[in-house]
Amino acid sequence: MVEKTKKSRVFDYFQEKEEVYAGGVAWCAGCPLELTLRFVPKVLGKDIVIVGCPCCSAPVLYGQNLGTWHRLSYYSTLMTGVASSATGLARYYKKIGQDATIVCYTGDGCAADVGFQPLSGAAERNEKIIYICYDNEGYMNTGVQRSSTTPIHAATTTTPIGKESRGKPTVPKNLPVIMAMHESAYVATATLSHLEDFAKKLLKAKEKKNEGFVYLHVFCPCPVGWRIASDSSIQVCRMAVRTNYFPLWEAEYGKFRLTHETPNPRPVQELTGLIGKFAHLKEDQIEDLQRMVDERYALIKKLCEDNK
Amino acid sequence: MVSTQKGQVRVITGNAAAAYGAMLCRPDVATSYPITPMSEVAEQLSTFRAEGLVDTEMVEVEGENSAMNVVAAATLAGGRAFTATSSWGLVFMYDAVQHASGFRAPVVMAIANRETPGILAVSGGQQDIISTRDTGWIQIIVEDCQEILDSVIMAFRLAEDYDIQLPVMVNYDGFYLSYMAMPVEVPEREDVDRFLAPLKQQPERTKLVPGKPLGCGTHGIEVGFVELRYKHCMAMQRALEKVDEIDRSFGEFFGRSYGGQIEEYRTDDADIILVTSGGATGTARVVVDAKREQGIKVGLVKLRLFRPFPRQRLSEVLKGRKAIGVIDRSVGFGWNCGPMFMEIRALTPEIGIIPMLSYIDGLANLDITILHIERVVDEVYAASQGKPYQEVTWIPLEE
Repeated sequence: MVEKTKKSRVFDYFQEKEEVYAGGVAWCAGCPLELTLRFVPKVLGKDIVIVGCPCCSAPVLYGQNLGTWHRLSYYSTLMTGVASSATGLARYYKKIGQDATIVCYTGDGCAADVGFQPLSGAAERNEKIIYICYDNEGYMNTGVQRSSTTPIHAATTTTPIGKESRGKPTVPKNLPVIMAMHESAYVATATLSHLEDFAKKLLKAKEKKNEGFVYLHVFCPCPVGWRIASDSSIQVCRMAVRTNYFPLWEAEYGKFRLTHETPNPRPVQELTGLIGKFAHLKEDQIEDLQRMVDERYALIKKLCEDNK
Repeated sequence: MVSTQKGQVRVITGNAAAAYGAMLCRPDVATSYPITPMSEVAEQLSTFRAEGLVDTEMVEVEGENSAMNVVAAATLAGGRAFTATSSWGLVFMYDAVQHASGFRAPVVMAIANRETPGILAVSGGQQDIISTRDTGWIQIIVEDCQEILDSVIMAFRLAEDYDIQLPVMVNYDGFYLSYMAMPVEVPEREDVDRFLAPLKQQPERTKLVPGKPLGCGTHGIEVGFVELRYKHCMAMQRALEKVDEIDRSFGEFFGRSYGGQIEEYRTDDADIILVTSGGATGTARVVVDAKREQGIKVGLVKLRLFRPFPRQRLSEVLKGRKAIGVIDRSVGFGWNCGPMFMEIRALTPEIGIIPMLSYIDGLANLDITILHIERVVDEVYAASQGKPYQEVTWIPLEE
């Protein structure tokens, strides 16, 4: 059920007095993961089950022993079992006629790497669940190792800068597009700098999950791992959209639509200049990145046009 | 004596028997992913669903790991769930298998036993049981197709018991029982409903309800972790008596029972005991009868429950004997003996120091023949008479 409320502007969602999280949660200062996880129940409502796995969100979501930092119902599993556990919950609730919104919340390491098979499987079966991937472009919880969404040339602890290494040698897996190619009910990209857009997509997600699988890919800078100032994460999100590094689009059953156009995109250097993991980039490496951004944006444009 | 409930006799394979057993228990959710030699379980369940015989939510997953995660989550939400696998499939769900038991998810899983990774072997063996020995699951090993069906039903009553709440594996010999068709009495569904009804009189299991501030899973920290481990271990111990109790109850209800933790055959006055598990037990019974006619007082113990280990009941039956022979269908790396032998060996303080002989046989679909078991009985008997003996024998390599 989509919320029938008068909420028209994103700020309305923040007027909700009841906060499901305790104060002083164990996330890093300035982390958009926390803001995203606080925002999601505000829009989706509290009658959700969050399915999580070991990742940056786990310390707070899981709690310790009998202690917890939130009042949400949640199911914790392993990185290999998120989409499949959500499937089990959704199917059982369907069987007994219980209305439920199952929301998977994982990082890119789970979604793009070790948990990709069950994610792809659930999408193909069009399971009625919402899967939100907060993409911080690496394994941040375990100490900033590279994942398959780590951008080309980015420095991580396993793709360090040294005499024989200049960061990650390969381009990132284009996970949101791969997920859209499953032609499931709804796939979209979102980020915190464009909160109105994000809220609309969450509402749509709640509606579309009654039809089938929903995947939201959320760009989520990591202040610690990316070496950015803790008060700059939203600025980085905004620049990722303005440079077309992270275009905002949605796809229903594989039909693409841009939800936010950037008429005069900024050069990618304006984004990389904000981020410590790109501090070592030379001109040709920035060109590589720019080429990737241009090609991937052109692909999205083409997919949107084909849809017209 | 209450008259027992009769069912309809059908000639079905072991795989079909597992599927019938599950279907009769009306699972809310079932999953499976095909693997030789259990694929027929998945096909049969899907057929039941397609014919409208069950309203189970069937999830055709993309791998065994997901199969286990789906059913574990479904049970923790409050449902009844079933899956089946074999060998590499079991290995591929290894993390989820431990997740399920650690979360006390009362899943029932049928396993058509098959050799496990190392060397590709599309053939029977019990190494897959051994590879999951310490995962905190209850492990039952059965002998024939009827026992498969009956044990799946009993497994639901065991797994979902309020005092147990543990996942249960029902193991049967892949290739042998999985594909062998036998007459099997299939109970009426209403009778199975009545057999499982005591579960409804128990307190409701804790379940995950959307919107209720209740989490499933936590970071077990220090003593919190130890406490959960301890409770898990205690539930395993409670399962020992519960297995016997459910078996007796099943016997009263359906007229068939299997001895619970172990099944004894002609052990009363036996000097020597043969220990087997699974399908080889039938062959061993024939040999025991023949050897008895020759004057050798041999008895047979079928190990039905492998985890928790039936320590007390085994000690009682093995105490005072002159020698014991154990046939394993798997190997114990690092010990060079059969894993079940090794465990029975650990009973020495209770049963005394007597000759114990380990036999490794039936690996990779090799038959455990009458001749093999005759040889075992002869050697164990000789050992009981004080003759020198070889502790470990790999029968196929000595033929």
